Amino acid sequence: MAVSVETSAETPVEPMPESAPKTAPGVRVGGLSVVYKTPAGELPAIAGIDLELRPGTITGVVGESGSGKSTLALSLLNAVQPPGRIAAGSVEIDGLGDVVGLRGEELRKARGRHIGYVFQAAQNSLNPLKTVGKQLLDLGRSHGVSDLRALVREAKELLGRMGLDGARVLDSHQHELSGGMRQRVGIMLALVLNAHLVVLDEPTTALDMITQATILRIIREVHEERGLTTMVITHDLGVVAEVADRLAVMYGGRVVEQGPTHEVLATPRHPYTRGLLGAIPRLVGDIDEARALPGRPPTLGTVPREGCVFRERCALRMDVCETVEPPTVADGPRLVACHAVEAGGAVREESA
Amino acid sequence: MIRGTGIVKTFKQRGSVLAGREVKALRGVDFSIEKGGAVSFIGESGCGKTTLGRIIAGLETYDSGEIVIDGTAMSALKPRARQPYFRRIQLIHQDPYSALNPTRTIHQTLHAPLALRAKQTRRPGSWIDTRAAELLSLVGLDPGYVLPRYPHQLSGGMRQRVVIARALTVDPEMLVADEATSMIDVSLRLGILSLLKDLRERLGVSVLFITHDVATARYIGGDGDMYVIYRGQIVERGKVETIISSPVHPYTQSLLSAIPVLHGLERPGEQRVVPTEALDESKSDDGCLFARRCPFSTDRCTSEIPLLARSGGFAQEHSCFYPERRNVVATPLEAA
Ligand SMILES: Nc1ncnc2c1ncn2[C@@H]1O[C@H](COP(=O)(O)OP(=O)(O)O)[C@@H](O)[C@H]1O
Ligand SMILES: Nc1ncnc2c1ncn2[C@@H]1O[C@H](COP(=O)(O)OP(=O)(O)O)[C@@H](O)[C@H]1O
Ligand code: SF4
Ligand code: SF4
Ligand SMILES: [Mg+2]
Ligand SMILES: [Mg+2]
Repeated sequence: MAVSVETSAETPVEPMPESAPKTAPGVRVGGLSVVYKTPAGELPAIAGIDLELRPGTITGVVGESGSGKSTLALSLLNAVQPPGRIAAGSVEIDGLGDVVGLRGEELRKARGRHIGYVFQAAQNSLNPLKTVGKQLLDLGRSHGVSDLRALVREAKELLGRMGLDGARVLDSHQHELSGGMRQRVGIMLALVLNAHLVVLDEPTTALDMITQATILRIIREVHEERGLTTMVITHDLGVVAEVADRLAVMYGGRVVEQGPTHEVLATPRHPYTRGLLGAIPRLVGDIDEARALPGRPPTLGTVPREGCVFRERCALRMDVCETVEPPTVADGPRLVACHAVEAGGAVREESA
Repeated sequence: MIRGTGIVKTFKQRGSVLAGREVKALRGVDFSIEKGGAVSFIGESGCGKTTLGRIIAGLETYDSGEIVIDGTAMSALKPRARQPYFRRIQLIHQDPYSALNPTRTIHQTLHAPLALRAKQTRRPGSWIDTRAAELLSLVGLDPGYVLPRYPHQLSGGMRQRVVIARALTVDPEMLVADEATSMIDVSLRLGILSLLKDLRERLGVSVLFITHDVATARYIGGDGDMYVIYRGQIVERGKVETIISSPVHPYTQSLLSAIPVLHGLERPGEQRVVPTEALDESKSDDGCLFARRCPFSTDRCTSEIPLLARSGGFAQEHSCFYPERRNVVATPLEAA
């Protein structure tokens, strides 16, 4: 099937509003903190995050459940819901400015039109009572799309390239679709308004390997054809290894390591990144070398208030780790926040 | 300890659109699992793995075929008389969230089956709590921490360990782990896998490991057998290490090719096999069931049915007219 390569200048839907980024936007997250109200008071789910999504790249954000990935993703749309709120920081998106300051109608328009989003468990986020096609039209209307026929055509084309029969899927209700089909519907809905910033939260979790590989390939292809800036969130380092240009590793609400994917995988520096990598069940190599990460990730209430957030599971912890939060140190394109990593990236192997 | 021959299972679909349509979940499957052995079933979603696992655990009926447990043919027994046989086989399913009653503490969850067990084996009531603590320690949990807690207070990995402990309350001879790690963070999967391996080694329980993730099957035991299942049929069968290192069926090769490559650490296999289209159960096929999606299919594949057999000088059985070793698995790069 022939698929047209869309640019926002020749979108079949309708011309973008003046402020729309015409190309892949860059995103700069600065000092971002998000807190959730709990019986124990407001506790930070992410704290002081600095992260740049470079225009036209895929950034993978990886970390265990509870590390704050979904909270970070929601912040990009200024969509953190009560009991949560953005407590500090900014999210600068080219063409939109700081979205943390956007409100009401402005914000609603930015979502969907500029920022495509696939929620975690997209599998279950469709309305069970309406067909996919009906939901597509609702989406189009709520964003003031005038040519709905073109929208449907575009949706069918996207579904087709993801290996689905577009017409059949649009006529279906959620329960008639398999998990993998729903996931692809979610991706279609994120792309169909021709947004140039796309955020995918766990887009392949709970899918089988072949379906996952297909979806990752499509994400990569569409990203390149449309010239997007993409963020993929997952707990599976293998997934980001397949698709991401850059990789950010999160733990306890912090980005503890980031850099070009291949470099980080080849020479991981942060003890947490090393642990994650060593815990992946592999097809080759010595079985006895692989091991689960000991301990478990912190929850809002158990994240240490001072010192390094990872120290309870870290084999390299030192006295300084108890009291001083490790600063993020840059070494070329790589950033890492760990007291055991020396200038130039060497890791002190022995704990003091 | 359990053997099956020619197991067939067809489901009638319900629901508005698909009503009345038949799904051939199993099309005549043979299997055999030894005492203390390890077997894994692999295949993508919808291939019949769960159905077969549930049949083996006595939780699902089958249309035809025979199951023999410890020498006794189930067809010769009335349903009630089969129960003690199937009680030896315990199922652990994929969702540790729904498997535990949220209104009961872990202590209550373990107490009920252990009380029954105490009665059956004429043990004193005091044995129950001792055994509960013993089982939790066995699965790597701290009884003092876990017993008074409710499921929602535990992580997914801990819950799955509780589910395994509960399965062990009846002293089973075999555990059927159906996607037991797929809803758990990757970082914690190896812990559950090595627990299952450990139970097999220490207690001698057989493990049937069901998954779509071939890599995880490797951790249950390389000496075990691997069954590759596609649309209700076994398409390749042999030792785990044989299937992983030199698969010959294009479907197996597709499964292995789909595993993410850790670029930077690994070089992708040179001959990764990608199915030409997605699985569509609604289409019927003549000949090889994989032909529609197989990059190597020929006219013969759509007119003749390939049967599972050992041929072509390969160590494993397969059902492909054109078996060929392909280099689909990633290889580690030399350490930098
Ligand atoms: N609505 C909420 N109310 C209270 N705590 C929340 C809420 N949403 C998330 N959290 C907490 O914030 C932390 C980060 O969660 P989340 O961003 O969902 O992480 P991830 O996506 O990495 O699993 C977790 O400890 C989680 O329990
Ligand atoms: N209770 C059921 N009713 C109708 N169809 C079913 C039922 N259980 C399974 N199936 C169908 O049987 C086939 C095999 O399913 P399953 O055994 O769950 O596969 P797997 O575990 O490999 O994903 C699928 O097409 C599925 O839709
Ligand atoms: S700062 Fe200390 S505790 Fe934290 S990861 Fe580095 S060595 Fe480990
Ligand atoms: S028999 Fe033919 S279609 Fe089937 S797997 Fe082999 S080559 Fe492919
Ligand atoms: Mg999340
Ligand atoms: Mg299943």
